[in-house]
Order: sequence, then structure tokens, then C-alpha cells
Amino acid sequence: MPDRPLQRICYVEDDEDIQRIVRTSLERIGKMTVALVTDPTQAIGVMAEFRPDLVMLDWMMPVMDGPTLFRQMKLRPETSGLPVVFITARASQRDLDELKVLGAAGTISKPFSPKDLPEQLRAIWAAMP
Amino acid sequence: MNHTTTANGSESALEVSTKAVEAEIRDRADPREVLADRVAQLYRQMPIAIGATFIAGAIATFELQGRWLKELVLMWWAIVVLFSATASLLLYAYSRSADKVASAPQWLRWLGIAALANGASWGLAGGVFFRSLSDEQQVFLAFLFAGMASVGIPVYAASWPIFALYAAGILGPFFYVLLTFGNRLFVEIALLVPLFYAINVAIAYRLTQVFHSGYRLRQAYGKLTKDHRLLNQRLERQLVELEEARRQVEASGRKLALFAERAPIAVLELQPNGTVAEVNHAAEILFGYAAAELVGASAKKLIRPDLHGDFDRVWQGLVGARESVAGLKLTHPRRDGIDLVCEWTITPLVNVERQVIAVIAQGRDVTAQLEAERMKKEFTSTLSHELRTPLTSIIGSLQLVTSGVMGEVDKEVAELTAVAERNGQRLLDLINDILDIEKIESGKLTLAPELFAVDELVRESMVLNKGFAERFRVRFQAHGDAAERKVHADRKRLLQVMTNLLSNAAKFSPEGGVVDITTEDAGPNVRIAVHDRGGGIPEDFRSRIFGRFTQADSTATRQKGGTGLGLAICKRLVELMHGRIGFQDRAGGGTTFWFELPRHTT
Repeated sequence: MPDRPLQRICYVEDDEDIQRIVRTSLERIGKMTVALVTDPTQAIGVMAEFRPDLVMLDWMMPVMDGPTLFRQMKLRPETSGLPVVFITARASQRDLDELKVLGAAGTISKPFSPKDLPEQLRAIWAAMP
Repeated sequence: MNHTTTANGSESALEVSTKAVEAEIRDRADPREVLADRVAQLYRQMPIAIGATFIAGAIATFELQGRWLKELVLMWWAIVVLFSATASLLLYAYSRSADKVASAPQWLRWLGIAALANGASWGLAGGVFFRSLSDEQQVFLAFLFAGMASVGIPVYAASWPIFALYAAGILGPFFYVLLTFGNRLFVEIALLVPLFYAINVAIAYRLTQVFHSGYRLRQAYGKLTKDHRLLNQRLERQLVELEEARRQVEASGRKLALFAERAPIAVLELQPNGTVAEVNHAAEILFGYAAAELVGASAKKLIRPDLHGDFDRVWQGLVGARESVAGLKLTHPRRDGIDLVCEWTITPLVNVERQVIAVIAQGRDVTAQLEAERMKKEFTSTLSHELRTPLTSIIGSLQLVTSGVMGEVDKEVAELTAVAERNGQRLLDLINDILDIEKIESGKLTLAPELFAVDELVRESMVLNKGFAERFRVRFQAHGDAAERKVHADRKRLLQVMTNLLSNAAKFSPEGGVVDITTEDAGPNVRIAVHDRGGGIPEDFRSRIFGRFTQADSTATRQKGGTGLGLAICKRLVELMHGRIGFQDRAGGGTTFWFELPRHTT
């Protein structure tokens, strides 16, 4: 378990409505600071600047999907150490297992409950080494 | 030289074949039948022998009685009459005998004795009377003996030993009398008697041989005729059967042609080199070509050029390894340019020498089916992503409002958002259920079995469904004696089953009621049951309760939620885990839903 509380979240998601719900949930219920990215190709730049504690990636996005972005993050020193949680609607067990092997911190399945989202993220945070 | 050799060769060949024929006749004629024939011939001649003896005896008696002791001559006559009568009785007995074949040797022996007796009666006359007769009478008697002996040849021709016995009976005593008469001429005559005897026996022997072979021939011929008749009958029967078989083959040929011609699937007969030999009507319609345009052309004419390599490989297997192919999908350009996909069953026709003589291809147009499958897949994908994503936003937004995170809202507004949230959730449940059942039925659901105690499942499901209990104001109560039993199953999927059963029980229980959850052993299984005190299952609904989209009462659905797929999914999930599911009326009212899973044993 990291020695500081979970505070800064970067969320990469192409659907702006869901972005808004997640921001409301994390800011109002979780009292966290959130950076939102709509275009995954710009995500790494945002992360390097924002320096989040944890990154949430949507699985399915146009242009570049979550797993691809995750693999790119691994190649960059400024993002390679960031814990990543996937938000997914249709990943198979095999896909999830593969992500675990690649080093994903956890997955949250869509649809999720915004009421419980901060709690879920903190649980993943607490389970980290 | 050569010519002679050839002639000799052919002659000897003829000889061999004659011998072969003789051997065949000998083999074919039954020796017992041949003997019976000879015995019958001998008995047929008996009336002549009896008559001749009787008449000659009468003449001799008449001639001799004046000159000689009358009593002695009459006594001799009595002996002759007695022998003749005995012989007649023998003939009568023979004619009445039942099995002349089996008893033939016996009858032959009796005849031999009779012939010897007959001959001996004449010999007696010679031995007793000859010495004291006048010269004329002696000539008469000698003439009589010679006559009687020679009559014996044709009479006993069918058996020379009988003739030999008969003639010996006549000539033996006569020979002795002549030899001891004391007269040189008589001695000379006596010495001639054995010679004549021997010649006569030899003639009788030859005649017997001729008779024997004649009867053998007759038997063989009879047998041959009989065999021939039987053979003919069999041949006739076989001809009738053959004709019948031919008719049947013709009929089934016509039937087969009709099957192919009127079949709704395309049927092509191909030659081993891949040339089309024949096509049916369905194939013409399917590909848009007339039969005349296809017959004689290569089958590749019907296959998209980029698939020719695949086709060649399949063809190699068909004609080379003589293996049939089923479920082969090929894309075919129709005559009008539109591609269609057919699923083929292709069978090489192999003759007894294991050579491929033709290849029969039967094809079904699966273009529409593949399109339907593709659309179904697309629909499933749309359901799972395109519908769930906006629902996530809808339910999430409503949840944030109803939870009070956004600040206090008006009570009536809160109520309306709660309705919206609940119905959004219901829509999501329905989508999830449809996806589940699609996944199960297409065989794409993979289970993740683990080992756990039944108790854990029950407790977890009670916690998970606390919301339902609160909403419908019921209480979940667990008891039972198999709680510590373990099962090896997919825990998450079993929780889904439990959730379905518990939510149903909660929905249909009266307010303030108790839903009992019990565990018990059931043979090799563990049974988990959920008991409610609801109104029971309507009679007409029982048979289709585990079907898809079934609900007893659509009004209840609107009020209480549910997709109508829950129990269908439960049944399929339980069965995937090698268990079974069912329900029954509960004593005192209500219903019990139960499922069983194999108990884990170490």
C-alpha cells in the first residue's frame, strides 16, 4: 500500500458525458483532483504535466484504444511507473488476464456505479504494493 | 511328323475324355440302384424260367413214365412242380416287397438258391434216369438238358454267377453219368460238357457286363436328368429373381434421378478430372447457368478465381485419398456477377477396384444464413457496447442525483429520478440477460470453476440481495445441514443463479414474509432450495417456466421488474455445471425452487 492517500486521477475517455459523471463522482464524493483527456494521443503529454497518482483508461476509444495507450505509456519513463485501471464494457477474461500480466493495477467494469467509484479506486490503490 | 503327333495327341485326348465320361457315369450311378435294376430284370425273366421248366418237365414226365418206374417219375414231376410253385411264391413275394433297392442283395441270394434248385431238379433227372433209357430217349434227354441250359443264358443274363449255378445244377450230374457210362463216345461227349459249360458261362459273363453297364448308364442318365431338372428349376427361379432385381435397380435408379433432379439443393456430378458431368435443376437456378453451359466445363468455372488453389487442394484429397468432404464453404460467382456462398458435401464415388469413377457434390446456398449470423453478431456487439455506454451515463447521472451528492432535491423530483434510475437498471438487466443467453447458447460462455463451501454461496447471495429483501419487505433466512459441503463450480455464475431465485422469491412473497434458503444432500449432489410463500406457479405456466421470455403475468413484470430470461439463464448455467434445476409446490402454500450440483469429494 502506497504511503500517501489517493489524490490525483487522470481519466482518458472519449465520451464526454461519462467524463462528466466520473469527474462529479470523484470530486464530490471522493474529494479527489481529476484531469480529463478526450484524445488518447495527447494523454501522455497531459500525464507528464499533471503527474497523477493513478490513471483510468477507457478500453474502447476511437483512434487509439486503452491497451495500446497503456503499452505506449510503458515505453515512456515519465509514465511507465503509473498505476493504470481499465474501465471496460466487454473485455473477455483472457484480455483481463493479459492486462494483469502487462501490469494493470485493476479493472472496473462498465456500467459502474458513480456512488461507489471512489471506494472501488481506493480499494485498488490500497491493494497495490 | 508334326502332323502325326498332332493326330496322336488329339486321339489320346479323345480317349481321355471318353474315360472321363465313363468315370463320370460310374460316379454318377448309384451302385445300389444298379444292382436293384439287375435284380428286377432277373425277376422279370422268372415267369419264362418257371414256364419253361413246367412245360419241359411235363413233356419229360409224359415221355419217361411208360418206360420206367412210374412212381419215381411222378415223384420227380412232383419235385419240379414244387420248385416251380416255390419259385412263383418267391416272385410273388418280390413283387410285393416294399424297398426293392435296400433288399436287392437279399433277393439276389434267394434267386441264386432258386436257380440252383431248378438246375438241380434237371440234374436229378439226368443222374437217376439216363442210364436206363433207350438210345432215342437218351438223345431226347441230352437235347432237353442242352436246351434248358441254353435257355438259362438269356434268363439269367443279368447275373452270370446265378447262370453258373443253374447250369452247374443241370450239367454236373449229367457230366458224371456220361463219364461213368462205360462207353467211349459218352466219355468223349462228357469231356465236351465242361467246355460248353465254360463257353456258356463266359457268354453269360459278357452279357452280365453289358447289362451292368446298360443299367449303370440308365441310372446315370436318370440321375443326370433329375439333376438337370433341379438345375433348370433353380435357374428358372434365379432368372425370376434376377428379373425382379433388375426391376428394383431400375426403380431405385429412377428414384435416385428424381431425388437429384427435384432436390432443393444443388447436385453436381463431376468427373475425376474436375469436369462437370451432370447438374440438377437447383444447381442451374443457383448459379444462373443452363445445364448445357456447365456440362463439359471445369468445376472451377463456378468458383471464384482466388479460391482455385483451395479447391485444387480439396480436390486432391477427394480424388487422391478418396476421402469425402463435408461442410466445405466456397464462394461462387453467379452468372450475373453476384457472389454467393455454398456449403458443400462432396463424396467421391469409388468402384470395387478403389478407383474414383465420379465425384458427387451437393451444395446448399448459405449466403443468407451467413449474412444472418453476421447481423446477429453485429447486433450482439451493438447491444453490449452501443447500448450499455449511454445507459452508463443515464444510470450514473440519476444515481448521483438520487444519492444527494448534488445537494438536496425536491422530494417529488427525487421520486421521479428514482423511477428513471430503476427503469434504466431494468433495461441494463435485460441487455445483460440477452447477452448472457446468447453467450451460453452459442457455446461461448467459459466457466471459471473453483472450490468453495455451499455456505459461502448462500451467505454471499443473501448480502448481495439485501436490496431486494428491503424493497419487497421480506426476510431471508438460511438453514440446513449441508452448509459445509463443497462444490467445484463457477462462483460468480452461481451467485447469478442465486440472485435470480432470491429476487423472484422476494418479488412474489407477501409483505413481511420469510424466504427460506435450505441446503441438503441429495444422493451424490448438494441441493440448494429457495422457498417462498407466494401464490404459487399458475398451471399453464409450469411447462414453459424455464423457457425464454416467459413470465406468468405481464402486469407483475411491469410492477416488480424482471426480464423473463432469468430462469432460462439459471437452467442453462446449472446444467453447464453438470447440475439440474427444478421447482415444486410448497406444503402450506408457496413454491420451492431448487438446484443441485455434484458434491465435491476428495
